[in-house]
Amino acid sequence: MRDRARSTGDRIAGLFHAKAEWHRRQVRLPIKEKVRILLELQRQDHPLLKRHRTLEWWEEPWPIEP
Amino acid sequence: MASLREVFQVLNDMRSDGVIEDYALGGAMAVLFYAEPTRTYDLDVFVILPASDQPIVSLTPIYAWLRARGFEAHAEHVLIHGVPVQFMPAYNELVEEAIAAARDHDYDDVTVRVCPPEHLIALALQAGGGKRRERAHQLLETADIDRALLDEIMSRHGVRWSRDA
Repeated sequence: MRDRARSTGDRIAGLFHAKAEWHRRQVRLPIKEKVRILLELQRQDHPLLKRHRTLEWWEEPWPIEP
Repeated sequence: MASLREVFQVLNDMRSDGVIEDYALGGAMAVLFYAEPTRTYDLDVFVILPASDQPIVSLTPIYAWLRARGFEAHAEHVLIHGVPVQFMPAYNELVEEAIAAARDHDYDDVTVRVCPPEHLIALALQAGGGKRRERAHQLLETADIDRALLDEIMSRHGVRWSRDA
């Protein structure tokens, strides 16, 4: 029982570690790649935001390349 | 299709033409240079305006310069190559200091001036609001922050971590 709890704990710790490492990798991305992700986030989030509130006129995905 | 490089080039042209004395990116776009990507739909630019004997700070020369190049102002934003840019004159000493301490970053061979991360944290906390506090914490957790410098900036400008800050 104790071993099972430890192994679950280890697995969860491993998941948190992997998540933290993913965030660290995101921070180290080249700025142009971050901008590419930003533009993608803008496109993905826009319809969701629009459903939840009235958006300002300027809250639109940017019509540019990274 | 334009790229962000061309938007940054417009900011540099404004500076070399003397419309602004200096500038630095602030807000979420600036955070992108130091932390992981987060969504934003506009670009905040802090500016130092040339000295003037007018009693009221005016952005009219900036808007006129931009309009002459085909970039129209709509309320508080100007669309530069389709990107909404908000120009904010340095409104206090912390902003002035952030612009003076701005770092030159390279973006596709164009220099762009960005507030240092320590100043971005202090500015976010000073302005207040949940989203900005979250941004400050994000920077603190993921960016390479000089804690002693941050503490010194916050203490000098009376900025606190509390909710009321």
